[in-house]
Amino acid sequence: MNQNLHQAGIKFLNALSRHGDLIMQVYLQGTLDESQHSPKVVQSLVQMGVLWRPEDNAKLRLKTALRQLLEGSLQDERNRQVDANIGGALASIKTLAQHYKEAMHYGRYGETDAHLSDLTEHVYGLTESLSNSVRTLFSRINNEFGYVASIDAKIRENELAQSQVSELLNQLELFHFDELSELAGSHRELRHLLVVTLQQSFSKVTQELSIVQARLLALLGRFREFKGRTRLLNGFVLHMEQKPDFTPTNYTQLSQVPMLFNQAKGILKPAAVDVNRVEHEQDLQLLVGKLKALHRADAQEQPERKAKPIEVEEQSALEMEESGLRDAVEAYFCRVIDTGERLTALDYYAMHELPYDPEVWIYQVIGGYQGLPEEEQAYFAIDTTGSPHPVYNGNYIIQDVELGLR
Amino acid sequence: MISEQGRILEKLLSGEFICQISDEDAWRFLKTSGNSDKIEPQLNMLNRTLSSAADGDVFFAAYLHLGDNERSVLGSQFNEIATNLLPLVEWLLLVQQASGSDVPVTQGTAIRLGELQTTIEDTPAFTEQLEKISRYRLFGSTSVNLDGQLKQVFKRLTDLGYLLKPNSEKQIFVATGKIEYLYEVLRFIDETEALSLSDQAENAVNQGSLL
Repeated sequence: MNQNLHQAGIKFLNALSRHGDLIMQVYLQGTLDESQHSPKVVQSLVQMGVLWRPEDNAKLRLKTALRQLLEGSLQDERNRQVDANIGGALASIKTLAQHYKEAMHYGRYGETDAHLSDLTEHVYGLTESLSNSVRTLFSRINNEFGYVASIDAKIRENELAQSQVSELLNQLELFHFDELSELAGSHRELRHLLVVTLQQSFSKVTQELSIVQARLLALLGRFREFKGRTRLLNGFVLHMEQKPDFTPTNYTQLSQVPMLFNQAKGILKPAAVDVNRVEHEQDLQLLVGKLKALHRADAQEQPERKAKPIEVEEQSALEMEESGLRDAVEAYFCRVIDTGERLTALDYYAMHELPYDPEVWIYQVIGGYQGLPEEEQAYFAIDTTGSPHPVYNGNYIIQDVELGLR
Repeated sequence: MISEQGRILEKLLSGEFICQISDEDAWRFLKTSGNSDKIEPQLNMLNRTLSSAADGDVFFAAYLHLGDNERSVLGSQFNEIATNLLPLVEWLLLVQQASGSDVPVTQGTAIRLGELQTTIEDTPAFTEQLEKISRYRLFGSTSVNLDGQLKQVFKRLTDLGYLLKPNSEKQIFVATGKIEYLYEVLRFIDETEALSLSDQAENAVNQGSLL
């Protein structure tokens, strides 16, 4: 029998894991879309009691036991069910304890073991369900009933949670530890289970529940406050729609101005810099350093830098004047060539009464001769008449030059 | 080094609101009992006194004695508050509706401009509403595109001290205590003028559900 149960259980769990995908889908969506899965699988799941059909035409749903298991282990906040049936659990615990005592009394030790393990199961089950209930309440409070959007819904959720808390508290009153301890008598195991374990869980739960209750009340207060504010805002907008020219009386003209509207004007202006304070020097220098010096010099009128047309005339005029002298030198050279006679420069100067300074003239003649290309220079012979400087300094003073053909 | 007290005094005298969001240190200082007495004499010397609103969420400097000058300052201030009330309320509602959480903007509410913009862009009713709000003199937007309108509105609100931009590189704004002050003003007007605004809103909702 036991072996069979073991086998069947494993088969069941295997089936669950095989169809885990489907089961989670049903868990999340609430119902099963039968068209998406093979009828054979669905049928077997129905037979195993995983899925069930509440009414003939209704869709398949997950069995509550399985749903609760998932909610519990996934800590799903949608779980709003709080198991408050402590009275029933306590009654069964008491019954089992009596079975155990009776079996002990008659010395049926095989039975006592079975009863004790049953009893342990029930006691731990009760403590677990109590702590679970508190946990679900807390998780709902902690995210401020985040699974519903509107404030009204949050208020309703809050009220539900409050009724659950008071229900739990009522049920907790069913714990009569004097009765339990009397029942446990001198049995060590029973005492441990019925008095120690239950008492611990009881005190923990009552403590937490009182915190939950306080938090719920605070939350409710906040939600009401939110609602009040929303109503205030909406009401004001409505009022302004109905009476667009509404302006409140100017309360500041009353003899007693309400403190709310007594708001002094700001009188402080930023202080000014004191450049003579030595301790500020560094800061001020930093500030000055941060100033950007912009040398964006205005492009002023600079007439001298303007582009100008190049004037060539003046230069050519200057050349003309110079070339008068050069032409005279050229004519002197030609005269020497034409006549073939030797002629000094000053004689030629005297003959033609040239308008230049004689010194400039001689200078130009020498320059003209040296300006000739080398092969032309070879046609002329140039001789200088002059004397060394009276005070010897290496200079030779030329008084005249004589030019002739070679 | 300037003392904490001096720093707070300077803020108050500059006409700033001090709340937990804008300056937590200063706010805690003022919240601590006895500390406000330390700065009160200095304030009194300048005809000012420490005042708080919204259950001590915000502190600001108020006039100690009211002369004609002070009254005229307060009068013009009040006129400004009264005219700015509707744009601000409409903006608050827009943000609340667009955020989708149905939670009103309160002190410390973070508003992500990018997300808000996406929602407003996707909903024509919100787009129209934003356009209307941005045209109020308070915001004074002349922009034709939504991006510009939204930025201008948030910039103005930041300048006026209703919002704070903790990180200048990110487009995330945090509502300051001045928003609480705004609610307080609304409540005050509601009570004093006996407008019963909440009832009006409730009735409108009920009528809507009847229809």
